[in-house]
Amino acid sequence: MADDGTGASTSGSPTAAEDAALQEALAAAHTAVWGYGVVGAALPAGQREAVAAAELAQRDLRDQLAALLTSRQVDPVPAEGAYALPFPVLSAVDAATLAVTLEAGTANAWTWVLEQATERSTREMGVTALAATELRAVGWRAAAGQTPVTSAFPGLPDA
Amino acid sequence: MSDPVSAPPVPGGLNRPFTRRSLLVAAIAGTAAAAAGCTRSSGNAADAVTPAQADQLAAQVQVQETLVAAFDQAFAVDPGLAAAAAPLAAQARTQLDRLRAAAPGTAPSSAAGSTAASSAAAPVDAAGARALLRAQVAAAADSHATACPGFSGGRAALLGSIAAGLRGQDGQLA
Repeated sequence: MADDGTGASTSGSPTAAEDAALQEALAAAHTAVWGYGVVGAALPAGQREAVAAAELAQRDLRDQLAALLTSRQVDPVPAEGAYALPFPVLSAVDAATLAVTLEAGTANAWTWVLEQATERSTREMGVTALAATELRAVGWRAAAGQTPVTSAFPGLPDA
Repeated sequence: MSDPVSAPPVPGGLNRPFTRRSLLVAAIAGTAAAAAGCTRSSGNAADAVTPAQADQLAAQVQVQETLVAAFDQAFAVDPGLAAAAAPLAAQARTQLDRLRAAAPGTAPSSAAGSTAASSAAAPVDAAGARALLRAQVAAAADSHATACPGFSGGRAALLGSIAAGLRGQDGQLA
């Protein structure tokens, strides 16, 4: 594993910057897995199918990232014990808005991976993950009553 | 409660994934500045573009020009679609603008737009217009997603982001 005790690659590694970005994406996946628990709890049972699918997708991403980092002798960042909600989640609209926030964080992390990646295979992984998160975000924006429901630049500033 | 973007960073909090936003702004701004002939802030190899990549970026600009023209053609055939999908068309144009800014030596060209428009198949009715437009959105998303891994730095992020945005549009045109 890494010799600096932080879980990051040593600075001399050719993939150090990419690994650091992958750690950010992993942290975002941990956050999303936790956050979807809150989203699901705020929705009626009949509306939780999309939550379960999104949470599963985030778990898959988390596991894929952890395996990739481990294969590079990098300690994957663990999940936090608790996370701070950005706003109270008291209704179905709040829940959808939180889901939008979770997917925005995921998209932001994956565009950073694309920006930092040195390995083509990592960029291939990133472009796939980014598309998947935007597809989920479109559904959540609609549920939250946000317009437009699409984004020109998922994960990047609009201007 | 506070806005998630303006809230103070909380270690391990939901704010954490957003801490890179400012860095991405800088990365893309740097790409645009380099494309405009401005001084590059560093010799960052990730922002260097080979001649082959410059050609590929020009091709992606053309893909996006064709998509923008497809929106115009579809809207001319189906006014209802024009009303409903105007935000999608606006997003496609914004994507084109940013792609042009990131592509060395590529500038807005009415000739290029005309060429793209004439190369797109003309829809014949409202149903056909929507179906054709959706197919072209999907094709553009595929093209940008395929091109993305061939780049590095801000251009890879931009192509990946645009591809993802168009995936979202594809679903809205179903």
